[in-house]
Amino acid sequence: MNTSANRDNEGVNTPGVTLVAAAPATIERPAVEESISLEHPWVVLVWNDPINLMSYVTFVFQKLFGYSLEKATELMLDVHEKGKAVVSSGSKEKAEMDVYRLHEHGLWATMQQDGA
Amino acid sequence: MARVKPPFAATKKGIVVNLGSDERDLLRRLLGEVGELLTSAPIGDPKLARLFPPAYFNNDEAETEYQRLMRDELVASRLSSIATVDAFLADEQLKTVTFAQLDAFCAALNSVRLVLGTLLAVGEIDDYLDADDPRHDELALYNFLSWLLDGAITAISQNHGAT
Repeated sequence: MNTSANRDNEGVNTPGVTLVAAAPATIERPAVEESISLEHPWVVLVWNDPINLMSYVTFVFQKLFGYSLEKATELMLDVHEKGKAVVSSGSKEKAEMDVYRLHEHGLWATMQQDGA
Repeated sequence: MARVKPPFAATKKGIVVNLGSDERDLLRRLLGEVGELLTSAPIGDPKLARLFPPAYFNNDEAETEYQRLMRDELVASRLSSIATVDAFLADEQLKTVTFAQLDAFCAALNSVRLVLGTLLAVGEIDDYLDADDPRHDELALYNFLSWLLDGAITAISQNHGAT
C-alpha cells in the first residue's frame, strides 16, 4: 500500500524534479502519526454471513494468522454466534493488509480504529 | 448424495481427486462463468458484491482509496486460482493435486459459492433442500460445491496433521 509515499523526502536534492526541489532542504518528519496509531490501534473485524462455511472460516483464520485450530475455531464460533469477532489488530497498514487477505479469501472483513 | 468416496482423499500417493468427467466439466463451466464476470462485469455489479466487500464503515474516502488500490489485485488473485483449477480439471489424466493446487481449489470453489449464494440469496438454513423451493436445483448445486469445499479443507487438514 502506498500510504508512506508522502512521507518519503529522500529525493530532496534530485535535480530536475520541480516539486521536490522546491521543498525545504531538511524536513523533520513529525512523529504524530505514529503516536496516534499506538494509542488507538486498528482492529480487523470479521462479520457473520450465511455463505462461508464454518470449516472454511476456521481454515482461513489458521492459514492467514497462524492461529491454532482451537484459537481459530473459537474465533469462528464468535463470528457465527455473536455476529462478528476481532481477528487481528495493529497499525493501519497491517490492518489493511489483513483485510485484503481476508477479502481475497472471500470473508466479510472490515477495519476500524479501536476506541474511535 | 449417494457417494462414498470423499472428493479429495489424502492417500500415500498424495491427495487424490475423485471427480468424474461430468463433474469436472460442470466445475469448469462454473469457473469459466465466474472468470467471465470478474473480467467483464461492471464495478458495483451486485452478483459480485460478496467478492468485493467494503473494508471501512462510514469512511467513504478511505473506502474509495482501498477499492482503488486493491480491486485489481483481488480480481487477479481470483483469476489465478480459477486458472490453476481449470488447468487441473482440463487434464483428466491428472488424479492427484499438489498442496498449491488444493489451496487454489479452496479459493476458486469459494468464489463460485459466493457468487451463486448471492444470486440465490441463501440463508443459514438453506442446507436443507425443500422440494417445493423454486431454487431447488441451484441450491443442490450450491450444496454440492459446499461439499467439495469442505472435502478440500478436510484433505488439507489431514495432510498437515492439523486435525
